[in-house]
Order: sequence, then C-alpha cells, then structure tokens
Amino acid sequence: MSADEKLLTLNLKIWRQKDAKDKGQMVDYTLEGVSTDSSFLEMLDQLNEKLVGQGEEPVTFDHDCREGICGMCSLMINGQAHGPEKETTTCQLHMRSFNDGDTIVIEPWRARAFPVLKDLTVDRSAFDEIIMAGGYVNVNTGNAQDANEILIPKESADLAMDAAACIGCAACVASCKNASAMLFVGAKISQLALLPQGQVEAEQRAANMVAKMDELGFGNCTNEAECEASCPKGINISNIARMNKEFLKSAVKSKS
Amino acid sequence: MTKKLDSKIPEGPVAEKWDNHRFKMKLVNPANKRKFNVIVVGTGLAGASASATLAELGYNVDAFCIQDSPRRAHSIAAQGGVNAAKNYPNDGDSIWRLFYDTVKGGDYRAREANVYRLAQVANNIIDQCAAQGVPFAREYGGTLSNRSFGGAQVSRTFYARGQTGQQLLLGAYSAMMKETAKGKIKSHTREEMVDLVVVEGRTRGIITRNIVTGEFKKWAADAVLLCTGGYGNVYFLSTNAMTSNGSAAWKAYKKGAMFGNPCYTQIHPTCIPVHGDAQSKLTLMSESLRNDGRVWVPKKQGDNRPPGQIPEEERDYYLERKYPSFGNLVPRDVASRNAKEAIDDGRGVGKTGIAVYLDFADAIKRDGEQAIRERYGNLFDMYNRITDENPYQVPMRIYPAVHYTMGGLWVDYNLQTTVPGCFALGEANFSDHGANRLGASALMQGLADGYFVIPYTLGNYLASEGLMTDKVSADHPEFDKCMKESQDRFNRLLHIGGSKSVDTFHKELGKIMWERVGMSRNEDGLKKAIDEISDLRKEFWKDVKVTGTEVGINVELEKANRVADFLELGELMARDALERRESCGGHFREESQTPENEALRDDENFCHVAAWEYQGDETTPLRNTEELTFENVPLTQRSYK
Amino acid sequence: MLNQFFKVITSSIMKKFGMGVTGLLLCGFLVSHLLGNLLIFVGPQAFNTYAHTLVSNPLIYLAEAILLLIFLKHIGLAIKLTIENKMARPVKYYMTQATGRGSTFASSSMPVTGLIILVFVVLHILQFKFGAYYEETYDGVVMRDLYRLLIEFYQNPLNVAWYIFSMACVAVHVSHGFWSAFQSIGFNHPKYTPLLKCLAKLFALVVFCGFSSLPIYCYVQGAQ
Repeated sequence: MSADEKLLTLNLKIWRQKDAKDKGQMVDYTLEGVSTDSSFLEMLDQLNEKLVGQGEEPVTFDHDCREGICGMCSLMINGQAHGPEKETTTCQLHMRSFNDGDTIVIEPWRARAFPVLKDLTVDRSAFDEIIMAGGYVNVNTGNAQDANEILIPKESADLAMDAAACIGCAACVASCKNASAMLFVGAKISQLALLPQGQVEAEQRAANMVAKMDELGFGNCTNEAECEASCPKGINISNIARMNKEFLKSAVKSKS
Repeated sequence: MTKKLDSKIPEGPVAEKWDNHRFKMKLVNPANKRKFNVIVVGTGLAGASASATLAELGYNVDAFCIQDSPRRAHSIAAQGGVNAAKNYPNDGDSIWRLFYDTVKGGDYRAREANVYRLAQVANNIIDQCAAQGVPFAREYGGTLSNRSFGGAQVSRTFYARGQTGQQLLLGAYSAMMKETAKGKIKSHTREEMVDLVVVEGRTRGIITRNIVTGEFKKWAADAVLLCTGGYGNVYFLSTNAMTSNGSAAWKAYKKGAMFGNPCYTQIHPTCIPVHGDAQSKLTLMSESLRNDGRVWVPKKQGDNRPPGQIPEEERDYYLERKYPSFGNLVPRDVASRNAKEAIDDGRGVGKTGIAVYLDFADAIKRDGEQAIRERYGNLFDMYNRITDENPYQVPMRIYPAVHYTMGGLWVDYNLQTTVPGCFALGEANFSDHGANRLGASALMQGLADGYFVIPYTLGNYLASEGLMTDKVSADHPEFDKCMKESQDRFNRLLHIGGSKSVDTFHKELGKIMWERVGMSRNEDGLKKAIDEISDLRKEFWKDVKVTGTEVGINVELEKANRVADFLELGELMARDALERRESCGGHFREESQTPENEALRDDENFCHVAAWEYQGDETTPLRNTEELTFENVPLTQRSYK
Repeated sequence: MLNQFFKVITSSIMKKFGMGVTGLLLCGFLVSHLLGNLLIFVGPQAFNTYAHTLVSNPLIYLAEAILLLIFLKHIGLAIKLTIENKMARPVKYYMTQATGRGSTFASSSMPVTGLIILVFVVLHILQFKFGAYYEETYDGVVMRDLYRLLIEFYQNPLNVAWYIFSMACVAVHVSHGFWSAFQSIGFNHPKYTPLLKCLAKLFALVVFCGFSSLPIYCYVQGAQ
C-alpha cells in the first residue's frame, strides 16, 4: 500500500512445543516474499499457509482483534515483548521494522504463572484470578445513582483512564526480568483508587489482589521499568508506586 | 407454509410498554433462583453484562468464551462511544428523540417497541457503568463529557478516550469476575459452543469443544443465552476480530431458531484500505474523524497526482456537494456507498485506486495541529503505524469495510428466539437497529440487553414455563446424540485430506460476498452468488486440507468448522438480499433507487422482518415475516440533503 | 488473623518496602560515615579523636547492632527476592534484549554491585576494625591510632584500587537504589520523582568522590 513496499526474505527461529508437557525447541524456517506492509502476524499467517501447504502443522499463536486492543497477541520478538517498536502490540508491528535477510527469534511469554500450552500460546488465566481477587467495584446492576452525582476531577479521571488503558496482554510480565505482574496489578488498583467509586473497598482490594499475585508465583518488582517500556499502552510505573502506597495503607489500617 | 411471527410486543402506548410488561412478567422467588442454571455463550458486552447481572440475582451461570479470557471479546474494539439521552448538554435531547433517531437511522426496519425500550434504559447504562468505575471523559467541573457522534444533531455520546468499548467491556468483565469470585459464575475460557441441544422443542443445553484439549463436553441448563456477536467475518476481511464467527448462531438456526434479516450488514466508511493479498483484517478508525476530516476524490478520472498537487478546484468534496446539510457526517451507509460510487467511477486514490481521501488540512489550519492531535492523536498514530504515512501532512486514505451485522437470530420482545429457552442478545440478535445502525448504538444495545432486559424476561420464561420441576440433565440421550454429531463433523473435516487450506476457501467466499453481497447488490449478482457459494461449499467439503489431529490445540480445525458454517450463512445472506427487492439502510439494491441514486424503500411490500427458517441442508429455507408497524415515527424517505 | 498478618509482612510489597527502608537507612549511614572519615583531611588527631569518641560511647554497641541488623535485613531480603525472581521464570528466554527505554546499567546490576559491596564491607571490617592495633596519646588520653593504619594500608596501590572500585559499585548501587526506594515505599510524583532520580545520581557522585578521595589522600600522605 505504501509507495515503498518491499519484499523480504526472513530467517525465523520459532519456539515449537507440541503441548504443555512437551519439552519444546527452537526451529528454523525461511520465509520469502514478505511484504513490508504486512503486519507481524500476517507474516506468521503467511508462514502457516506455507506450512499447511507442505502438510506440516502450523505455528500456534494467540491473536484476535489485530488492532491492538484485545490484548490477546503476545510474542517475544528478538528478545523484546511485542518487538522493537514503542507502544505497539505485535499485531500492530509491521514488517517494515525489519530488513531483508534478518533473523527473527520468536518465543512465547515466559513466566511460572503462564505455562506454555502449545508453540507460542500461553495460559494467562492467572490475570483473571488476580482481577477476581478484587479488581472491581462491588456494585450490583440497578444500584447506581445518576452518573453526574459522582463528580470526578478531570485530572483524576484522566489518570484513572491512563491506568485503565491496560489491555491485559502481560507484556509487563514477559519483559520483566523477574516476571513480576506489578504493572498489571498496579494499573487496576490505581485506576480504582483514583476514583471515588473505588474508594470504599480500596484497602481490601490492594491487600487481596497483591496476595493473589504473590500466591500465583509472579516475581518481585525491582523498579527497572522495563514493563513500562514494553507496555503497548505506555502505562506508567507510578501506578506501581500507587499500589505500594495503597497496600501499605491497608497493612497499617487493617484490623487483622 | 410461511408463518407470521408473533413479536409479543406488550399493549399500550410505546412509552409505557416496557413498564407495563415489567409489571406483568412473572418473577422467580429469590430463594428459587439458585435452582436455575443459565448458560451464557460469549462474554462481550451483552454476555458479560448478562452473566454478571443474572449471577447477582442468584442464578447459577456458566459463561463460555473462545478466547483465553472473557475480557478479550471483540466489544473491546469499539472506539467511539455509547449513546444515552441524558440531555446533560441541555441541547434538546430526550428519550423520545433518541428513539426517533434510531428508528429513522435504521431506515424504518426496526421494531418501534424495542427501540423505545433501548432508548429508555440507555440512561441506566451510563449510571451503571459510572458506578463500576468506568473512567468516562469528564469536564473540568467533574461532570461527564458528551460529544456528537456519527451525524447526530445532539451531543449524546459518552466516551472514554477512543477506547469506550474497552472500558465498558472491562466494566462488565469486572462485574463478571466479581460474581466468578463468589462462585455464582463459572467462567469457561477457550471453550467453543459447537451445538445447541433442544429436547422436545425446548432448549436444554449446549455441546462445547475445548480448544486446548479438543475434548467435547455436554452442558445442561434451563436456558441458553447466545451473546456471540455478529457474522461480519463471512466477508473474510472485516473489522471483526479473527475468531469472531457465526457458528453458535448458525447451530441455533439449524435447531429451529429463525434468522432475521441476514442481508443487513453495515459497511463502515472510515477504515484503512486493503494493502494486499496477505491482509488478514481491516482496521477501523473511529468515525469521529468525520467531524473534522473532509472526504474528497479528484474530479478527473485516473488523476494520480499526489494529493498536495491537486488544486482545490479540481477536488470533488462529494459528500459536502451532495448533502449540504449533513456534509461529511451523513450516516454510515450513505458515506460508504458514495465512496464506492466515486471509486467505481475511476476516481479512487492511492496505489490501488481503492480509497478516497479524508483530509484534515483545513481542520489543522483552523484549529492548529495541537488541537487535532488532542482529538485524534491515537487514531493518527495507528494510521501512521499501519500505512507508514503521516496524516498530519498527507490526507488519510480510507475505504469502507464490513463492520457490523444488523441481522441475526430473530428474537421477540423478550429476546427469545423461536426456540423456547434460547435467547439472543447484542449483535447476535437481529435487534433494534433495523437496516442500519447509528454510531455509538452497538454498545448501548449490548449492555441494555444484558444489564436491563434479560434479567426480567428470563425470569418470566423460567417462572411461567414450570421449569422448576421440569429438568433435563446432560445424561439425556439427545445430548449424546448432539455430541456424537459434533464429533463426527470435526472428524470429517480432519479427514477430507484435500489440497487447499481453510483460509483459501474463506478468502474465496469473502471475495464472492464482497463483490455480490457487498455495498450494492443486484438480482443477477445475487443469483450468481448463491450458485457460486453453493459450488464453493461443495468443493470445500471435498478439497479442504486440515492439518493436525483432534487432540490438543488445532487452530486449522477450529477455523475449518467456522468457515464451513460461513459457507452456508453466506448463501442465506445472498438469498435474503435477493428476496428483499428494495433498498433500505445497509442493504442497497441497484434496482431500487431514487433518480438521485439514493436508497429507495418499498414500504408497501417490504415493511417487514424476514425471518428465515431452516428446512434441511438440501432444501431452500422458508422465508417467514414479521410485519412492522410504525405508530409513532411516521414512515418517510430518509433524506440527509 | 495471624495468618493474615503473616501474609502481609511476607508479601512482595512488604519485602520491597523493607528493601527500600533499609536501603535509605544505609544511605544515611553512608553519609555519616563519609562525614566522619573526611576528618582525615583535618589531621591524625582530629580523626583519631573522632574514632575514639565514637567507640568509647557505650551506645556504640547498640548502634552497631542496629546497623548490623539493617545490613542483614537488606542482604537477606536481597537474597530472598533474587531467588524468588529467578523462580518466577523457570524456563529462560532463548534471547533477551533490553528495550533501552526502561532498565539502566545500574538497575540491572543491583545484585552484582550488591554482592561486591558485601565482600567489600566484610573485608573493610576485617582490615580496619579488626586490623593492626597502634596506639597514640593525645592530651593524656590513650587511643587507637587508626590514622596510621590507614596510611600504611593504602600504601599498597592494589588496596587503593579495590577501594575505589568498591566505591564505584556503591555509587552505581545507590544511583538506582536511592530513587527506587521511594518508589517502593509508594512515592512517585510527576514533579518530584524526576528530581529524586537526579538527586540519586548526585548522591552517587558525592559518595564516589567523597570516599575515593580518602585512600588517595592516604596514599599521597604516606608517600611523602
């Protein structure tokens, strides 16, 4: 589509693993005729079409909306979560970021809490469990007062929105050398702590979500901010500080 | 024998129907709610909100989704906003006006009573979402901010940056997780519904296939809610997510649920154009862009000068020229069709010639680049990322793409399909949008159905049909039969051993659909489409190649199953389009247009819903109708001049 | 209840909080230690008298005990966190590459610089606290001549080099640790955090220059 479309030949090193029990290994592929206008996932589609044509099993990877919002796509690309571009999901990464003849290493997210299911697909249900531990406001349908009765300063609403932009893709965990989930958890705790609606349960929320995060085997934060740097939505680590604060407040105030 | 359908619209004036109905509906005693099991398929806005609300009421809910988390559902991709007639801006909005606009925008092919109810509960949606902590945009005083959207004459759209769908879905998802933590919802992820189980005319459960293990399972329940979204992916290229599919609805259709208005598809005017054969999906850009962008093409055919070198007087701002009062803000169907016209006329732009310009130069000159960046920064970035062009400097190139399907499972006023106990919510039903959906109304409808309609109407069904004692377990032979059939189907797909990949067939189908059942349709093309799809289907079942095994993750097998259904659904869409010999909303029949080439309705013969009834694989389905009456919004020809 | 309490104090955030607080206290120790040691520049009497006053105060045992505890807590937590963090990713990546937008040399080398500092501290205590005991009398008071020990010790250029290298590690360690501690105790502010990051670098520089000047001075003094 763009005026300077080129076709690339690529050497791919892709993690192949039959199922959760398989040991898995890196496998080399060569793929020709990849348009620089294609997205990274379209490049993988192209590889898969080729593999199917040869009667081989295609590479399994997670993806869905392909417009950078569902959070389903993942992939460590050359050792970077979602590849080299800033604030870009794998599905929005385009092949013009690569050169002809490049070798591209593609691996799944790696963390104890995210077991590999097959090839590049991992199980991220740990994130659902963390949200279950308190990532919500306890309000049943029908209980709400008029929306304008809750006044929220624009600045708080904007900050809450910054945190709420999280798509739950887990690039933060993948890129963290400690496989820590603190940016994900911090973003949710932060969003709700910034809004009056979330205040009522702010303390239990922080305590419970952090406890669940720890229980699931995520690592500890060492404030390196690789999570922020890899986050496709640019979520700031100030949200982790806010979580720390909320948690400490709750630890001091809690009666048990 | 064709049937006239009973929509069960309550008595009384339109504004009182829902209240009357709510009072008349039977209730389930609070202590008895826990004795009912409800299956919800799909966890988008409709599914997640319904799951959460029903669980809050005390029902036991099993929620299924094909993604790895309920939060991934494609509702998440909606950008623009959600409508409600709060009239906070004091600009003359009212429930009645929202109702009126929606009926008119739908080109008089929606049920008045449903639309009115939708407009009524829309306000509650905003309240509910705000209470959940959805970070809606705010004014400096702390109140909610509104904007005008998609050609509405009032500012009634609530939004959370360009990610309203995401925020509303995460709100519903968090409500769902709240109930999952309490054990009232059991969330089953990567579990795909492959059949609906109907015993003696009543829905009793579903069969699923686990995407990770390949295992088939039987699930019994007192009611099944299909919240599975639309079937836009029948076109292969659409703005839908890759796994969005029509299979769940199609299984219900084959079990007796009628399919309403399958030909109504919405083609969204502002998408990023196709770049080549490897393309897997189309990306939508919020139509809020049309608030400031001006759509144009060169006046001359085949003018391939760069846009900057085409002088003002040689540009055709065709929307402003043809529709002076609405200009660039005409409804989606009108904007899309006009883009196609310009391109068919040989005046398309870009390397492929399949695009029109959306130009922000004037807006940037008027308001400054900073103001435009604040309004559309994320969209401009996205455009830049995909096309490698800077829209602050050169006009965007846009082209219409399939975005939403107004058609879907036919439901009555209670959202029940023609199979008792099987309900359809959100985009999955044929719904409240008539022949064309207005911007920011999809989120409204999904949440209205889930939060505020189904909790009442489902209770009525459960209470009035004696289902407290009348239970069917998953041990019933019908479950085994359905499961066996599903297993056989997947096995068959796996062992065809043909030569062409699933995607090859899907792309082929998409081409036929886009060419012949796309933005404009004619009798000849539609007849051809029916034949071509039928041939393609036969070839598919002979020559598709599905790799892998039935155990474990097998994406090709999943896709094959969905494409097999699309190959049937596509034909029904063509058939419906052929039979509806009028133009209305998203359905444009070339034979039915005004002298100015605008859509021309035929209210005499087609002021009805077409509800298709399955008659067997080899038999043409039956076209039943539901007459539409308009007592409150007089039938007029839409005009945006 | 106890269980809940246990969960809170052993939680990831409490561990980080502990790291942060002990780290900041150790920064405080660095400052006081540096200020005291700068008396070397004043002369042997001032330095030795300072040291004597310090160790002859009975509270010194309490102070040393507390300092030891802080050190042990900081080290213990560091070991625990590092092990846990390694366990959080049992299967390693084939390839990793920093984004260049997040981690820094200082942040990613915290365990290494920490380990070097630990070795340094142990040696440092052995070399000086438990090193050769010379005596000197000022105004009739007999006290340890630590000054002489220093001058003698730093006649060996290797000792000087090791000291400076260790101080470089301390500087790198605090340049991340100082602001990071604030983040861990829940303080992050759009205006003050960038300031703290600058302050951390400045602090690192002061620590490095301040401490490194000491052995160099001793080396030069002894050579005369």
